[in-house]
Amino acid sequence: MEEKLSSVAKTFTPSPIQELSHLAQRCNAINLAEGFPDFPAPPCIKQAAVSAINNDFNQYRHVQGICDQLALKMNKMHGLNIDPLTDIAICCGQTEAFAAAVFSIIDKGDEVLLFDPCYETYEGCIAMAGGIPVYVPLDPPRWTLDPEKLMSSFTSRTKAVVLNSPHNPTGKVFSREELEVIAECCRRWDCVAITDEVYEYITFDDQKHETIASLPGMQERTIITSSLSKTFSITGWRIGWAIAPASAASAIRNIHVKITDSAPAPFQEAALTALSSPTKYFEMLRIEYQLKRDFCMKLLNSVGFRIQFKPQGSFFLFAELPKDCLLSDVEYVKELIRQAGVVVVPGRGFFHGKSGSDQPSDESFRHQKRYIRVAFCKTEARLCAAAQKFGELMNARGSPKLYC
Amino acid sequence: MSTASTQRDTVSTHDGTLQITQQPVQVAKRLEKFKTTIFTQMSMLAIKHGAINLGQGFPNFDGPDFVKEAAIQAIKDGKNQYARGYGVPDFNNALAARFKKDTGLVIDPEKEVTVTSGCTEAIAATMLGLINPGDEVILFAPFYDSYEATLSMAGAKIKCITLRPPDFAVPIDELKSAILKNTRAILINTPHNPTGKMFTSEELNTIASLCIENDVLVFMDEVYDKLAFEMDHISMASLPGMYERTVTMNSLGKTFSLTGWKIGWAIAPPHLTWGVRQAHSFLTFATSTPMQWAATVALRAPDSYFEELKRDYMAKKAILVQGLKDVGFKVFPSSGTYFVVVDHTPFGLENDIAFCEYLIKEVGVVAIPTSVFYLNPEDGKNLVRFTFCKDEETLRSAVERMKEKLKKK
Repeated sequence: MEEKLSSVAKTFTPSPIQELSHLAQRCNAINLAEGFPDFPAPPCIKQAAVSAINNDFNQYRHVQGICDQLALKMNKMHGLNIDPLTDIAICCGQTEAFAAAVFSIIDKGDEVLLFDPCYETYEGCIAMAGGIPVYVPLDPPRWTLDPEKLMSSFTSRTKAVVLNSPHNPTGKVFSREELEVIAECCRRWDCVAITDEVYEYITFDDQKHETIASLPGMQERTIITSSLSKTFSITGWRIGWAIAPASAASAIRNIHVKITDSAPAPFQEAALTALSSPTKYFEMLRIEYQLKRDFCMKLLNSVGFRIQFKPQGSFFLFAELPKDCLLSDVEYVKELIRQAGVVVVPGRGFFHGKSGSDQPSDESFRHQKRYIRVAFCKTEARLCAAAQKFGELMNARGSPKLYC
Repeated sequence: MSTASTQRDTVSTHDGTLQITQQPVQVAKRLEKFKTTIFTQMSMLAIKHGAINLGQGFPNFDGPDFVKEAAIQAIKDGKNQYARGYGVPDFNNALAARFKKDTGLVIDPEKEVTVTSGCTEAIAATMLGLINPGDEVILFAPFYDSYEATLSMAGAKIKCITLRPPDFAVPIDELKSAILKNTRAILINTPHNPTGKMFTSEELNTIASLCIENDVLVFMDEVYDKLAFEMDHISMASLPGMYERTVTMNSLGKTFSLTGWKIGWAIAPPHLTWGVRQAHSFLTFATSTPMQWAATVALRAPDSYFEELKRDYMAKKAILVQGLKDVGFKVFPSSGTYFVVVDHTPFGLENDIAFCEYLIKEVGVVAIPTSVFYLNPEDGKNLVRFTFCKDEETLRSAVERMKEKLKKK
């Protein structure tokens, strides 16, 4: 009865990240693949959830206070004026906010621009809504945006651009100049920007996260999506949101109601506590993740990597395999699991093949099989254990023995 | 901060100044007709007028302590990160065990169970994962309002069969001419919201044989299966030849009075589960982790829990149904769910929406107008829905208010 699958479902394949996690589990490997913390959520936020359950906040609800706090935050961080009554939809995680946003504005045949490499889920959403994903490659090794490539990707059918910054998998934070290039295109082509800003509070080295919505002419054509998950280490609670002009926010809210009806009630209550965390919490978050980033870079450098792009945000490091390593990304990852008991993600799953109107040779796309993504949202203990495992890879001559 | 826009409409106002309006983000065409739900509208009106809410179907009492404690323990134990996309393994196992207990069917929890954010998401994932644009899907009206919306998102063609009072029986002849070779799927909700009807063995078997004959999928929404009062609930999947073409959907919310936790699931053979899981992974990716752990505990509740649940609800139902009859409504028999549908026309209001507005403003009680549950609203204009998932005192107060202020014309 395979013919019973919708044509869209048939094109989907299982998540390579999840499959590797299963292999890693079987080998009892140290998991630096999946993007969620292995350290506990902040105690006061957990306590808030516990209280909510005890105080009977367990039926369908919409906690308006979340919208009020988000509006304040958006104003403080970005200078945006958001109406908490009309401009915000609370959803089951950023995933649902994004899905609802896509369904709210994408009609069949609409093109949606995505920057490559990118998180694997966006494409599926767009396809489900009948949209056509179009990839604009970012240029290695620093993942810079080439304005020519972007501009030549717009057509009369382009409806939206998806912008994930800070960026998974590369850790790039789009610069103001790049945001302005994207904004100019959106204005000129009358397109919508749909953002994924889940790593908004995880930036490094004085790098600040800016939302494209704060640029001239952009608030009225931007849908911001984000969530509590990464900021507060509660990826399993499913509390996210979309912030958009009232008509879009209303459509998103209505769609969300048809998809899931409401986000988990006790966690909405706990969100109030989370969102009112003191400034110090966010500072510590950055500092701690930056330390982990630096540790990871050192770790990889010690086993032959030469990291050309230092992550500016998110908790991912996207590292090119050493020049003298002849393995592909997948081969390297498998060997790493088997020989070192550490699992990371092969980068190819984030790339989407040839794009644009050029006829590129295979040469220029070879890099797509030469990257690994390392997640450093792990405890110091785990990262040290990983470092030790990597260290064991070195043979007597001090060369990594994984691939000689 | 200036918000200069290149996208402008300039309009001359009456005093001669130019007013710049900004083009709003355009909303997709297929969804323009889906507005705020009737439930939200009525709830807001209810608060404004201090009305007793017998409209929206969530309890005003809370879930059992042993389930809440399990969630609390899970949070404290650090189960706060992403669950496996299609469900925490222990929970999938518990679901398979429960399904076996309820239907006798043995299923593979790894390949045939998908956990979703409520049954609402199970429905959305099933539609989006298994329905192609242009596919024909049969619905029974009146229907829960998310069905039409998600079918529309999937681009389906909806064919509607209307269930009519007094017993809302399935019109068999109409059914036979509706289910054809090009029918992709039929969606059935039993026990049925809003009427409380339970599909009989005869009805389900007739539908089953038509589905087998025409190779049609069946999507079953069985969220009220534990609130079956007047007869036993029958799962379509348990009928001969049906498991391989059925998606059975359910949730924790109604059975355990925790409607805000959003724990639901879809059970289906592997070749159908595949599509459901794909769509689910793009809709919400994963379901709330601590609540899944708690749900595992909940599903292992002893039989006494479910027996007490039924007893409590039957007592509540008795209060409401008798009260509504005394007030002068024509009350239709409801075999299951915590809803009952009544004919409001003795009170002389023009239609169901007018009646519900009157009921809120002048009487102080909320009901839901059923016209929103029909493709053709005219079909529902004589009917409104009350819920009895409220504590007994609330039900009695509501009945008192109606006795006092609602007069037959």
